[in-house]
Amino acid sequence: MRRYVISATCLAWLAIIALLFGPARVLAQPAASKFEAQLIWGTNDSKSPDPRHKPVTPEILERLKELPLKWSHYFEVNRRQFALATNEGKRIEMSDKCDIEVKNLGNSNVEVALFGKGEKVVKRTQPLPSGEILVLGGNAPNATAWLVILKRIK
Amino acid sequence: MMEYNQQLKLQAYLDGELPEAEAREVANWLARDREAVALLTELRNTRQALAGFEAGFRVPESEDFYWSKIRREIERLEPVEAPVRPAIPWFKRLRGLLIPAAAAAVLAIAGLVVMQELGLRQRGTPGEAETALADAGTFTYRDFSARATLVWLTYPAENEVAGEDPIGTMD
Repeated sequence: MRRYVISATCLAWLAIIALLFGPARVLAQPAASKFEAQLIWGTNDSKSPDPRHKPVTPEILERLKELPLKWSHYFEVNRRQFALATNEGKRIEMSDKCDIEVKNLGNSNVEVALFGKGEKVVKRTQPLPSGEILVLGGNAPNATAWLVILKRIK
Repeated sequence: MMEYNQQLKLQAYLDGELPEAEAREVANWLARDREAVALLTELRNTRQALAGFEAGFRVPESEDFYWSKIRREIERLEPVEAPVRPAIPWFKRLRGLLIPAAAAAVLAIAGLVVMQELGLRQRGTPGEAETALADAGTFTYRDFSARATLVWLTYPAENEVAGEDPIGTMD
């Protein structure tokens, strides 16, 4: 009887330890996430005056067309990929005038700040799970637009 | 020494249970074998003795009633005793209750701690929040089918930066 009591007590403690430390430690593991940011120029012209610009991928084009944007052509100006551990933040230069600062808050959440000419324009915090995109955009001269697309790729 | 089957056959012969042909064989066998005759005689005497004993006994009541009385008397003299369980000390019984109760309580507390941790983490995540700075007006559009969030900024205003660059203000 005494042996069974000891065994039951050991099992109970093991269960407690597993419950306390197992999930907590798994959750606490800093998981690095990979992100991709693209600077896009939107226009109704079929060609970009800058030969370095290339059309966006069909996947991005399709998703942009589902948004209430009026432009028919989108060109990729710059693309940056970067990895962020949980609670890590990085400032990414997208162009001479445009930077973004992305912080991985964990649990699929990100904090994104957009800088225009070095000045912080907007800061946004939201979930950004894999497969979702965050599009920051604004009007540009000659009825065109600039867009920064951020997505988690891993 | 006579075999068992032969003994049985003699018993059947005595009881008149054998067919005629077999009965004849047994009769011939008896004419030749003294041992068989001796056994047959013994069996016959035994049957007669038993028959005489049974004939002299009469139960005063009906059989059912007679035997039921015997059964009742046996039951009265030997009451069925419930098995006596050894007395368990109160502290052992208490311990038996405390162990699972304590385990359940500790598990519940552990669950609460984990849930609280998860809850704090969940609460710690900010959901969606947006801060517009530098006089930027923004509007947000969420398209669930496209799995996309669009944040449109009026900053920088076209007349603020436009004209310097043929392509745009931010790119």
